[in-house]
Amino acid sequence: MISATLLGQSLLSGIFSGCFYAMLGLGMTLSWRYLKVINLAHFAFVLIAAYLTYQLVGKSGLHPLVVAVLLIPLFFALGIAQQALIDYYKVNEFASVIVTFGMAIITEAALQWFWSADYLKLESHYLRGSTQIGTLFLPIGEAVMALIAVVMCAAVWAALRYTWLGKALRAGLDNPQIAASFGVPNRQLSYLVAGVSGATAAIGGIFVALLFTLAPSQIFAWLGVVFAAALLGGLGSPIGVLAAGLLLGVSEALTMAVIAPAWAPVVPFTLLMVILLIWPERV
Amino acid sequence: MLRIENLHVGYGEAAAISDVSITLGKGELVCIIGPNSAGKTTLVNAIARLLPVRAGKIIIDGQEATRLTPQQLCDLGVAIIPEGRRLFTSMSVEENLDIGCYHAKARANRMQSLARIYDMFPVLSERRRQIAGTLSGGQQQMVAIARALMAQPKLLLIDEPSLGLAPVIIKQVFETISAIHTQGVSILLIEQNATKALAISQRAYVLDCGAMIAEGTPAELRDRSEINAAYFGHGH
Ligand SMILES: Nc1ncnc2c1ncn2[C@@H]1O[C@H](COP(=O)(O)OP(=O)(O)O)[C@@H](O)[C@H]1O
Ligand SMILES: [Mg+2]
Repeated sequence: MISATLLGQSLLSGIFSGCFYAMLGLGMTLSWRYLKVINLAHFAFVLIAAYLTYQLVGKSGLHPLVVAVLLIPLFFALGIAQQALIDYYKVNEFASVIVTFGMAIITEAALQWFWSADYLKLESHYLRGSTQIGTLFLPIGEAVMALIAVVMCAAVWAALRYTWLGKALRAGLDNPQIAASFGVPNRQLSYLVAGVSGATAAIGGIFVALLFTLAPSQIFAWLGVVFAAALLGGLGSPIGVLAAGLLLGVSEALTMAVIAPAWAPVVPFTLLMVILLIWPERV
Repeated sequence: MLRIENLHVGYGEAAAISDVSITLGKGELVCIIGPNSAGKTTLVNAIARLLPVRAGKIIIDGQEATRLTPQQLCDLGVAIIPEGRRLFTSMSVEENLDIGCYHAKARANRMQSLARIYDMFPVLSERRRQIAGTLSGGQQQMVAIARALMAQPKLLLIDEPSLGLAPVIIKQVFETISAIHTQGVSILLIEQNATKALAISQRAYVLDCGAMIAEGTPAELRDRSEINAAYFGHGH
């Protein structure tokens, strides 16, 4: 029998993982639903942003907030550029998996070339340390990341639900021709989604640099579980991807604590399969 | 308000309408009647710029509109109530109306337009939070009409508004169209239900097999026996 403290600590780390999955999954679920692009290159964007953060914070000594101010617009633009390419070549949903997988592979090679295949760790004093709540340790970096992930998901949810742009986007999904007849600029909105998705990748990348050890192969480290979170949460749903991310993160963490660490990766896909089997209309 | 000159529209190899010309004056209510598959929806979708034009011209308010995008057509003050309603089915009634006034000019008057429309269709006011796809057919048609009105159009294109509706609802829909016309909106009405359409129209065209075969006032068309026989189901 494991102790309450260990269980609580596992739960907490599961919540942090879940928020991290949601942070990476937000852009993925949006572009999947609203652009019909299954964007595996999203993870390439995340890692590029992470390496740039490593360079700018670790080597050039910039504050991570300054880096965020630089990278967010840059990746917004990169997201648009990627979508312009996908548009220009009329890449369909299925082909988008292959095309963006190709982009991810190329990125992995490029990262290796610039930064080598070695593990790199950003040494900085930002978001280090932890505080203690009762018997539980609360790592500052993870907590800030989780908070920002929740804020991002909530903000996108509210924007989709309550703003003119959000309504226009949903109308364009229901019926693009009629939406256009009422003045909805479908094309521009798709670039907005691509830009927002790119911007979320930048934020994700900054936290990857601050919290994890970097290696080019990390591009593929979270792909499976984030893919699962996007599907489970219902495509295009910011709250859904957060809830699904938390479900996966917590179940992984509890599996690690209660059964064995080796079993943890099995959990998300088992969950995904079971839920898709009993609840196929989820997707 | 609207002038169509020798319009040709088709799908792939096949021609759907050929050499169709119509005019519609400011404030007029003109209907186009004709049997199923005559090409009525093709014509209205071409005007709405949802279908490419092969040849001919569409002129709206003196401006050439033949090659405009649907979005640019919206700038000219044209709104559509499409066949089969084509609502934003996953969105609420009020969200559908919001998209109706998405255009900047119309959006500025959103509150007044909403008040007017909820006054006109009290049931939509009660159901403003309901998802449009879950409404009855008649209510969905009201949303389609209301959505177009939110755009404050100068020209309204209406395609088969009575399709699939119960007789009492059909009566209500035609009364509504008539009322909109009274408020000064120019209307092009497409209908299979010729009797009902002619009753509220000032002029009419008869479309069959993709060609315009007759035009005139409702009275003139009723007097022409061959048209009477073919489209009103009485005569001989
Ligand atoms: N999307 C389409 N693709 C190919 N042919 C079509 C399409 N829509 C309509 N048609 C054809 O064009 C002709 C006119 O159809 P339509 O304009 O819908 O007639 P109506 O509205 O008068 O019933 C019909 O012969 C129909 O089969
Ligand atoms: Mg039709």
